[in-house]
Order: sequence, then structure tokens, then C-alpha cells
Amino acid sequence: MSSPSQAIIAINIPPEFGGRPLFEGYDPGTFYDESIAPDGKPRPEAAAMHEILAGMPLDVFEERRQLADLSYLVQGITFTVYSDGRGTERLFPFDLVPRIIPRHEWDVIEKGLAQRVMALNFYLQDIYGKQRILRDKIIPRQLVQSCKHFRREMMGLNVPRDIYVHIAGIDLVRDSRTGEYLVLEDNARSPSGISYVLENRLVMRRTFARAFEVSEVMPVDHYPNELGRILRSLSPRSGDRPVVVLLTPGLYNSAYFEHCFLAQEMGIELVEGRDLVVVDDVVYMKTIHGLTRVDVIYRRVDDDFLDPLAFRADSLVGVPGLMNAYRAGNIALANAVGTGVADDKAIYAFVPDFIRYYLGEEPILKNVDTYLCSRPDHLSYVLDHLGELVVKAVGESGGYGMLMGPSSDKKTIEDFRVRLKADPRNYIAQPVIPLSRCPSFDPATGTMSARHIDLRPYCLYDGEKVTIVPGGLTRVALQKGSLVVNSSQGGGSKDTWVLRGDGGQEA
Amino acid sequence: MNRYKLVHVTQFSYDGIVTESYNELRLRPRHDESQSCLSFRVTTNPAAKAVGHQDYFGNWVHQFHILPEHRKLRVETEAVVLMHPVAEKPVSAMTLTELDVMRDDLADEHFDWLVASAYCPFVPAILDLAADAERACDGTVHGFVQTASSLIHARFRYQQGATHVHSSVEDCLETQAGVCQDFSHLLLAIVRSRGIPARYVSGYLVPRQGNDERAAMERVIGGLASHAWVQVFIPETGWIGLDPTSGEYVDAQHIRIAYGRDYGDVPPVRGVYKGHAGQSLAVDVHVRPAVDDEGAELLLETSATPPLDPEEEQHAQQQQQQQ
Repeated sequence: MSSPSQAIIAINIPPEFGGRPLFEGYDPGTFYDESIAPDGKPRPEAAAMHEILAGMPLDVFEERRQLADLSYLVQGITFTVYSDGRGTERLFPFDLVPRIIPRHEWDVIEKGLAQRVMALNFYLQDIYGKQRILRDKIIPRQLVQSCKHFRREMMGLNVPRDIYVHIAGIDLVRDSRTGEYLVLEDNARSPSGISYVLENRLVMRRTFARAFEVSEVMPVDHYPNELGRILRSLSPRSGDRPVVVLLTPGLYNSAYFEHCFLAQEMGIELVEGRDLVVVDDVVYMKTIHGLTRVDVIYRRVDDDFLDPLAFRADSLVGVPGLMNAYRAGNIALANAVGTGVADDKAIYAFVPDFIRYYLGEEPILKNVDTYLCSRPDHLSYVLDHLGELVVKAVGESGGYGMLMGPSSDKKTIEDFRVRLKADPRNYIAQPVIPLSRCPSFDPATGTMSARHIDLRPYCLYDGEKVTIVPGGLTRVALQKGSLVVNSSQGGGSKDTWVLRGDGGQEA
Repeated sequence: MNRYKLVHVTQFSYDGIVTESYNELRLRPRHDESQSCLSFRVTTNPAAKAVGHQDYFGNWVHQFHILPEHRKLRVETEAVVLMHPVAEKPVSAMTLTELDVMRDDLADEHFDWLVASAYCPFVPAILDLAADAERACDGTVHGFVQTASSLIHARFRYQQGATHVHSSVEDCLETQAGVCQDFSHLLLAIVRSRGIPARYVSGYLVPRQGNDERAAMERVIGGLASHAWVQVFIPETGWIGLDPTSGEYVDAQHIRIAYGRDYGDVPPVRGVYKGHAGQSLAVDVHVRPAVDDEGAELLLETSATPPLDPEEEQHAQQQQQQQ
């Protein structure tokens, strides 16, 4: 019997792996493949990396793969799956084959995301302010007011520099039928996952150093600096040394690792609710030297739990009186309270209209067609086609409360039928998008297989412009045929490369 | 005599030492066209400074905090209110059928006042009561709300302690008994489920003087001057008050403090503190006419100190949905 500590450092290469080529029998299939063109040749942007991988014996690859896994394990890079009896923390599986985006594609994505984040901010400012968009009947008032995350406490409250969403994670998918990127959902509350983007890059640089010599990959490591700059710029107090803290719910939260990581990278304090105290509408941090005034909170605690005086009284992870300090203008919160009224999945259907309304532009990135179950005509269509649609609960995220029609059994579908009828406002439905695929290593067979992927870029907004670190988190559905990529639902991740050029020629 | 002085004392006694107490008060009477709040003062012991702001529903909220250790907290508010004579509103003859046509417009304008809420879910028993009221009424919106209010007054028993402060209508439906808060929630659920906008009103009921029968009833029914009732929005008429506890009209004896979707939006005192101590609560409300128009001082006081359930202890909550 080997002890756990021995198990951690052991690298076991199955003998049958030998020197087989990795791409033996690889079938790009009928979906859009991010690496291999329909003619069977590598796409220009992926060619250099493909050459390295195709020439690599399986045992060499496997060794690198296990080393990569090990580095995540020893660093404790984990996430938590709720309601999973197998213990709270898990490794987020990492796939060594990068997803590669050529520059001309990224330019479009970047513009489309910037446009979207600007529009979401204008919308929030409007909803919690004059509500022009409701008076102009661009979006039904009932839909907005019935959002679980519409915070009446935010009406008329002036947020620092009029920014609501400082950090957004916008999920994109590529539709295999058209090759086009579509927006699948917006995450405007506290999107997680950026730490994996940064860590994946570090691991890839170590594991495939040569690949970075032949491909010019745009860096991502400036994210913490950029976020830190934005957070400091929000300080309501003049002076050049604002105190910024990261507020975490604590170690039972699914993204606790990320909270520690980001606080460390930005050089700010990681605090829990009990470390802060509000005195006369000013927020202080309790330190061994006494109370230190806090100017900006990067909060990773949901609205409901943020202030037990204003919201849920049973929250022990919040800071009583924080909303009073916020209302008094003595503290900046990122993201602002109430941003969930922008990323509700029923509101999502109207974001293209927000772009037209507030910016006077056509949306660069399209939405996925969405049926609002609150509309009787949509609901009856959805109920008739449950077996072919994806149904999502509007206020949830992370793949919770979701029905994947085509892969669900009859009982699950009927359960959802009952839920939909009982509370239609709580659900939307979308057609199943044939997501693009990317070669991914299947440890069971020791070969590369095509697996479905999505992309979550992280957008930072400083009140004037939107900055997006090139790439983002590519999530991969590791189960064969699966279209669900959420980490909480058993997905993995890949490093995402945006090339400085379009690949091919300069390689 | 239409000027009143209201003194509202809330006392918390803790079993042990508590610290970092943060509180919100919704006790300042509203100031609008039919009543004027001439003055309002908050005094706490231990001493703290109360700061006011208006919430989403236009109610005044005063917040204060006490950081050092303490075992008791006393909050006293004093308000002077001038009640204006209530002008009779012309009663609209709009029928329920006519109202149904306006459903979408009403929902757009009065969304918060139309949906089920935590205390006012549209459970089957509520829908049954709404159907009963509709059968018994004259078919007008006004008739329906009046009938619903009388129906509650007739079928439910006033009984202190039958429910508690966090009870939804379901508890009251089960026991067929409750207090003004429960009856108001019942009426809200019934009229909203029929598509009529309605809001919860917290306030004070000034006991009448004299020997009239109604006053005697009120001493029994509204032993505590703190009261709750309902306002219903009737198109072409506007907001009208209904008091399902007494089954009577709302008049210039009803001093309004706050509007909400239900009690949860307007608790008079809401707060959190640190410490493992349980707490008990005593409330004492005095209403008396301030100097009347003739300069005579007519005093009338009511007072009651009902024991209330200790608040549930806070318990650990670290689970959160992360995106």
C-alpha cells in the first residue's frame, strides 16, 4: 500500500501507451473543429502546435500531463462542487491541448464584448436611475421588477463613477453550423475562473515551452494589475493610497482558491465579513494595529449575504451596515450591488436591444435564440418541444437548475414540465447549439478525441473603456458527446491562446 | 382634535452580553397630503445617533448602531402628527370584468402590489376565499374588496398569540385566528390574487374617546395602538384603506407609518447583533392627542406590553451560489 504522500508524487505511464501517435484515428466529425479544418489539415492558427503534438510519443505526452496535474495538486488549485457527497474540494481537470484563436477572430470578439459590457452598464445605471428604457417600453417593466436580483435598495443610490459592472464574464460558444461566435450568457455578478486562466498559462509555459517559441501567444498575466488599477480608481476618498480589500465568504466557497490567489496577486488584504466593521457609515478593517479605513471592496460575496441588516439577516459572512456606508458614498463595491438584474437569463434576451438603445449600434456578437417562458406563446412552444431544448432557471448559474432536453430521460423532462408550468417566469429555453470542438486528451484511450468547448473571456470596465485579457477560460466537456462544460458539472479547462497574428505564415 | 403625539418604546433585554448591534427603524409616520409628520425624534439607550433615509417605497428608515458591549437596548421614538380631514372619495362603479381588461397596464404600473409575496402566497385556500368574495359581492371592484375585508372579519377570530411575527397567511388559515398583521396579509393575498393592486400599511390606530361601541371594541381588538391594515388601488378612485381587523373603514384615526408588499418590508425594528445571547422584547406605545385646536389638553393613553417570542438565534450560513 502506498501512502497518500507517495501517491501524489508517483507518475505512472501505462505500459501499453508506448510510442503511439497521439492523433491516431482522430475524427474531427461533423462539428466545427477548432484545430483541424474540414479537409483534414490543421487550421493555420493551430498548425504549429499541432505539429508538436502530432510528433510527440504518447508516453512523453502522458508524463507531461501528469506533471501538469501534479502542479495543480501541490498548489491546491481546487474548486468545490456543492451537494456532492464526495467531499468538497476537487481538482479542476486541465487539458493540455490549447484552444487557439487567430487575431482576426479575436478582434471581432473583443469589440463585441466591449460593446456588450458598455450596454450592460448603461442599462444598470438606467434601471436604478431614471428607467428611461422602461418608459420607452424596450423591455417590459414586469420582467425587470420580477428579477430575483433586482435590488430595490439600489434605486437612486449613486455608485462611484457610475460603474456597476467592473468585472464581467461573458460566455461565448461557436456554432458549428455557421462558425460564428454567439453569446450564451452574461455573468455580471461575481464571475469566477480567471485564476485558472492565469494558472493554466503558467503550467503550459512550463510544459510546452517550445510551443511558445514558435507561436506568438498574447500574454494574460497583466490581469491582476489591470483589476487592481481599476479597483484603486474607485476610491471615494482622495489620496493616492486607497485601501482595497477582497471580501470572501470563506473557505467553504467554491472559489475560495481564486479569492486567495487574486488577493495575493494584487497585494491586497483577503478579508471575511467578521474582519470588517462599519462605524458611522465608514468601513474599517480590524487589524492588530487597530482600525484601518477601507475604501474599496472587491466583494466575492453575493448580494443576499453582503449585509445582514439590509438583506438576509441570517448571513454571517456579510458586514452589517455596509449598505448604509455604500449609500453614504463612503465605500466602493465591485461589482455594484444589484447587477443580477442584468444577467438574469430572461433579461439576456433583451441585451441586443440594450446595445441598439443605449449605443445606437448593431450588436457585433449575436445572442442564442431564447424563449421566455413568461410569455404564454413561448411557454406553449417550449412545453411542446422540451425534448429538444435546453431549459435554464433564470436566476441560477454554474449549470444548476438546468434541463438538457436531448440527453434527459422522460422522468426528468416531466419533472421540468411541472416546474415550468408552476413558475414560468423562472425559466427560459434555448435550442441546443452544436458547440465547436477541440482535440482533447482522453486518458481512458490514450488518444486525442474531439470534445465540445465554450469560452469565457473576462472583461474589465474602468468607466471609459473595456479591457479584455486576450483569450479567457476555455471550458471543455470532458465526457464524450456532452455539451455541458460547467466546472460544477464535471467540465475541465484548457489554456486559450490568442495569437498576435493569424498563425500559419509567421510560424 | 386631530393632532397626536406618539411615543413608541421598544426594549430589548439580552440573556448575556452583546456587541456590534446594527438596527433599522421604520417608525416615522409618513408625511403626505392627508397627514403631516410635524416632528420625529429617536432616543436610544445606550446612546447612538440615528440617521434617516427614505427606502424604495418612500418610507423613512432610521438606522443606528451600538458597538460596545451591552445587555439592554431601549429605543424610544416620539412623533407629532397632524391628521387632515379625509375627503370622501367618489366610489368607482368599475366592475371586476372591466378590471380584467386592464390587467396588463395595472401589472406594469403596480407590479410590486400585485404579486404574491413571502407572507402572502396565493395558496388554494386564498383562491377559495377570493371566489367566495366574488360570489357574495355586487360585481364591482369596490364591492369585492369590501366583501373580502368583511369576510375576513367575520370568519377569523382575533387572538393574540395564535400566530407569530414571521407567520405567513398559511398559519392563519390553519388556525382561523390571528392578529391585524395576519388579517392584512389575508386581505392582500385575496385581492392581489384577483388582480387588484394592494399594499400593506403599518401604523397606529388612535383609540376613540367616549362610550361608543366601536371604541370599546377597539380597546379589545387593538389593545396595542400599533396596527396594520391594507390599501387597495381601485382604478378611477385611487388608493382606499380597508381594515380587515375591525371590518370598518379606515379614517383619520389611522396614522400611516410605512407601505410595503407585506410585513417583511416594514418591520418597525429590524436589527442584528453579535453575541450568543437570546433576547426578549417589550413594546409600549402611547398615543395621545397633543394640544387640541381649542387649546385644551385632552389626554387619552393606551398602553400594552405583550411578551413576544424571542428572535431565533443567528446561525452559521456560509453556503453561497457562486457563478
